[in-house]
Amino acid sequence: MSAEIIDFSKKSGGIGNSHPQGAVLVVGGGIAGVQAALDLANTGFFVYLVENSPAIGGVMAQLDKTFPTNDCSMCILSPKLVECGRHLNIQLLTMAEVEALAGKAGNFTVTVRQRPRYVALEKCIACGVCAEKCPYQVDDEFNQGLNKRKAAYVKYPQAVPLKYAIDPERCIYFKPDKHGKIGRCRACEKFCPAGAVDFEQVGQEHKLDVGAVILAPGFKAYDPTHYESYGYGKFKNVITSLEFERILSASGPYEGHLVRPSDHQPPRKIAWLQCVGSRDTRPGTHGYCSGVCCMYAIKEAVIAQEHAGPDLETAIFFMDMRTYGKDFERYYNRAREEAGVRFIRSRIHSISLADPASQDLRLEWVAENGDKGNELFNLVVLSIGLEVGDNLRRLAQKLGVALDADGFVQTGSFAPVATSQPGIYVCGAMSGPKDIPYSVMEASAAAAASASLLSPARQTLVKEKIYPPETPVADQEPRIGVFVCHCGVNIAGVVDVPAVRDYAQTLPHVAYVADNLFSCSEDTQKSIVQAVQEHQLNRVVVAACTPRTHEPLFQETMRAAGLNPYLFEFANIRDQDSWVHQQEPERATEKAKDLVRMAVAKAALLEPLQPVHLEISQHALVIGGGLAGMNAALNLADQGLFTYLVEQKEELGGHARKVSHTWKGEAVGAYIDDLSQRVLNHDCIEVLTGAEISQVSGFVGNFETTVQCDGRERQLQHGVAILATGAHSLQPEEYLYGQNDRVSRWHDLEKRFAEQPQLLEEAESIAFIQCVGSREPRRPYCSKICCSASVAQAIALKQRQPELNVYILYRDLRTYGRREELYRRARELGVLFIRYHRENKPIVESTMINGREKLLITVKDHILDRDLKIPVDYLNLATAIIPRGLDTLAKFFKVPLNHDGFFLEAHMKLRPVDFATDGVFVCGLAHYPKPIEESIAQAQAAAARAASVLTKGYVEVEPIVSVVDEDLCIGCGLCEASCAFRAIRLIQVPGKGYRAENITASCKGCGVCAAACPQRAIDMIHFRDRQILAAIHAGAQAQAV
Amino acid sequence: MDNLFEPKILTFLCNWCSYAGADLAGVSRFQYPPNIRVIRTMCSGRVDPTQVIEGLRSGFDSVFVFGCHFGDCHYLEGNYHTARRMQLVRQLLELAGIGPDRLQLRWVSAAEGQLFADYVTELTELTRELGPLRASRWQLPLAAVQRACNSPRLRWLLGMDRQLTEKQNVYEQRLDADAFQDLLRQCAKLEYQQALLVEALQDGPKTVRQMAALTGLPVYCVSLRLNDLERTGQADLLEYEGTSPKFRLMAA
Repeated sequence: MSAEIIDFSKKSGGIGNSHPQGAVLVVGGGIAGVQAALDLANTGFFVYLVENSPAIGGVMAQLDKTFPTNDCSMCILSPKLVECGRHLNIQLLTMAEVEALAGKAGNFTVTVRQRPRYVALEKCIACGVCAEKCPYQVDDEFNQGLNKRKAAYVKYPQAVPLKYAIDPERCIYFKPDKHGKIGRCRACEKFCPAGAVDFEQVGQEHKLDVGAVILAPGFKAYDPTHYESYGYGKFKNVITSLEFERILSASGPYEGHLVRPSDHQPPRKIAWLQCVGSRDTRPGTHGYCSGVCCMYAIKEAVIAQEHAGPDLETAIFFMDMRTYGKDFERYYNRAREEAGVRFIRSRIHSISLADPASQDLRLEWVAENGDKGNELFNLVVLSIGLEVGDNLRRLAQKLGVALDADGFVQTGSFAPVATSQPGIYVCGAMSGPKDIPYSVMEASAAAAASASLLSPARQTLVKEKIYPPETPVADQEPRIGVFVCHCGVNIAGVVDVPAVRDYAQTLPHVAYVADNLFSCSEDTQKSIVQAVQEHQLNRVVVAACTPRTHEPLFQETMRAAGLNPYLFEFANIRDQDSWVHQQEPERATEKAKDLVRMAVAKAALLEPLQPVHLEISQHALVIGGGLAGMNAALNLADQGLFTYLVEQKEELGGHARKVSHTWKGEAVGAYIDDLSQRVLNHDCIEVLTGAEISQVSGFVGNFETTVQCDGRERQLQHGVAILATGAHSLQPEEYLYGQNDRVSRWHDLEKRFAEQPQLLEEAESIAFIQCVGSREPRRPYCSKICCSASVAQAIALKQRQPELNVYILYRDLRTYGRREELYRRARELGVLFIRYHRENKPIVESTMINGREKLLITVKDHILDRDLKIPVDYLNLATAIIPRGLDTLAKFFKVPLNHDGFFLEAHMKLRPVDFATDGVFVCGLAHYPKPIEESIAQAQAAAARAASVLTKGYVEVEPIVSVVDEDLCIGCGLCEASCAFRAIRLIQVPGKGYRAENITASCKGCGVCAAACPQRAIDMIHFRDRQILAAIHAGAQAQAV
Repeated sequence: MDNLFEPKILTFLCNWCSYAGADLAGVSRFQYPPNIRVIRTMCSGRVDPTQVIEGLRSGFDSVFVFGCHFGDCHYLEGNYHTARRMQLVRQLLELAGIGPDRLQLRWVSAAEGQLFADYVTELTELTRELGPLRASRWQLPLAAVQRACNSPRLRWLLGMDRQLTEKQNVYEQRLDADAFQDLLRQCAKLEYQQALLVEALQDGPKTVRQMAALTGLPVYCVSLRLNDLERTGQADLLEYEGTSPKFRLMAA
């Protein structure tokens, strides 16, 4: 059907040179780029991460909450950004763009141009004085221009790198005076306490040798000024959804107060208009569906109500409600039934200003049944779509990457992250509109694809730091060094730093004190090392900014000084003291002294800790030999990791064998045959068919799985497991299925006509019914792939036999994303779409018409508002995709199922293929219904995540874990019941009965078990009861004057 | 009290949300009163009820615990544990006559710098209104609350709450959440009263009447709890002083 079938799956395999580079260039520092960079850097590759703006984080950093879990976006993103920012094997290149690319897969040379920041990264301490002193205000683009920032600015408060930049487009320095000379103002330079402002900086050109390139530059939000009748830019209270995100955000322009731009008053009624820029045919708009807007609009309405309370009225104007993802339909139902969000099926033609004084807005619409509606709203949010910006089109051109008509990178279903250029991969919205989890999944898949291409070069370019041997301190009396930071004037401007330093000298165990202008500077690190050595210090306390950003730095310094990094304690006297008590210097100083005293008290009790290294089995186990399982196994094997593939049936291939074509028109059968041959012939894969798993024990790195196969029992040792067991389709009990032979489901109709073509020739009418068993109270989820499948089948029927009447009976047509093209084509070909309600389902009867056996379908048409009677020859049902009984497997691997019976991943947004249980991953339909390209991307992502465990060769566990005192423990098991990570379990101890045991490899170090233990037999290393109590007692103590 | 009272407040912040929120308040320069003294834990689920009470006993006027919003916990459900534990501590403080408000629990995300500053301002004001705690006057009840927080029975019930009300017990029954809360409340009361008597007996044997006077519990109640203590081998009858029986602690 589509003119050109794209298959990049073969092309990308070969490398021109057998000595590839062990480095990868990732373009774009949004969530996809960050994920790809982390996955690669954690599996032995060096990564250059190129970001156009001054900080990574992308659009996700701008969002308030994320659907469907209502997680705070920044909270879940920020740890990943921080990890990325300080990863030894990730080099951030901010304010940079790719200029050119030479060479071929495995050996590229990329030219990257970096613009000057005018602030020296290594000097800037992010105190914000430059911005404070900068006299020039400009619109803050991070806040969508809803407020102002300065020309000297930081992109957002949690930015990584947290460094200021000077905007040369706006800064007065760069504006010529009347004589054409530049160089005025320089306020920032004058006041910068760190001497970081540098107007002499010039742009730099980097030539980077890399083996692969991953494109993750994201999308551009659609500009709604094209819709003149919506008055965006003219009416102050017509805003975009991204502006609304910023309004909701606690760190946004209105500090999280839900007020409207015109008068900063809380709105009482808000409307959302869907499909702005999407699913439209007018010039300047896009035909495709943007895929994410339905969910984000519902989320925004729900969160708005959380902010404003139940009196807020919310209404969403939409065409089809496309809540097709995992837990989306539930979210939609809750929004409608519990939050009272109104859903109105209508496309709004225009917005008018009701009254210039109030700036309220009037919406007029025609409902489906022809009734006219007309209402006032205080605020209207335009749900703008996603598009590809011109800069990305140029980037693709420079790299020779093929784009489709909409400007998205062309990809094939069977190699979803491969571009037309071997060695260049794509993930996220650049290859089509998609949401965060799908982008994250693709990012991991792109990392997996790069890793398998470059696997000979793994570990060749990564850096490792060498430290002097650690001084043993366990038996020594504590000798504590206290370093108090001025942070320029940030601390010293409020807190009396010398007084705090002198006070620290009087505290028990303190052997050395000093104050530093900038404790984080290079030379202070040297002086700390020197002080440790000269004064035989064995503990260090730094009183400065915050451990969240700077503890790792000082821990490095500890190691450089030959001390264990855990003998370090931080006193936060900036972020939580000088900055928040600016008007009370004396009390802030008193607080600083208290905090130092508490830190010293805890420091005296700190113990040296060693990261735990556990040897692991480097084999993988993939369960399920369908499309997803095979792809996961193949990718792991291509990365050189031996993999067992276990399949219940005798043949590989699973349900994909029943599918003839993907929605893009690629033939599935041939692909599956080829794939299974590659799997069966791979040296690094052992396939066990007809196999049944009977037992699983162990944990990450060391699993042992018992498999019954060919009448005998096998024990498989493996370090990780990927669960890819697929799903079923429902056998319905309605619409005469199983009673009348003319009623079939899914691919049975295609099969019937393939086997008996004359049946199609004789047929006059064919109907499809959607949502059979899906989106029902019993099964309140959307099966996601059925709309596209039925519409594609309908198109094929119409193309074979144009005079055939084809009907699709649907509830919401969910040809999401670029599948909208199918819907458009089907309508052009004359496929008739009739919408029905769940409360008023179609009725199917057997009947005879003119002596011919027929099915008679009665359905209420909501546009005509009357019953239609449609005689058809065949009826095909799109029945629900239902989970297999996954209970046993879930118990074996100690992983959870969601309320619908699918596997529940560790985090729905950012860990879409991981389980909370380490070393176990999920992909394919066992996770949720999804189309082929998404299953493959998820399989490759699972392989990438699994490889990050296996390629290390050991599991490193932070030693901050719980410990059990076997003498106090009575084996009650409460800890086991309390642990969300199954990291503590009961074991039999000879002569003692049951005792709790911490599984260090799985423990995350939260300390819930320690605070739960009825016998007080559990303690938390590094946060021991006695350490916390020492800090409490020290804090309560009155200061000696 | 006088207007000059500046309370000193022990504050626990979890690393991932509330500590980050507090830092954001700093980055954004949202001002709040300088009365809190912060201890960082990885998760609010690390905060042991006994640590809260230790704070009050050692001289803090109140204790604030901050955690992630439900669903945001970096450790999945640590904050649910926190919520139940702190609720119980508040109950015990109420039983002790100190009042629940000396312990405050709030949820703050990493993006809610303003909310953090607002909470600290509001709660500091609240403590100021409550006045100084003067722990020395509450020695006995605080010691009893501490002991109750250490009681295996209460800790066990607290830990099993979700298991029993959301999943099921070994008999595959699911308990009604409200009924379970009632049970927990009753248990807390019994454990507190017992702990009070054990603490009262720490410095030597006492008669029932003496104990009633010391603890403020009715005589009948003292007798009942002593009965429990006798049964579990924690105290026994020493002698009669007139008509009033005199009890002593048994060595552990």
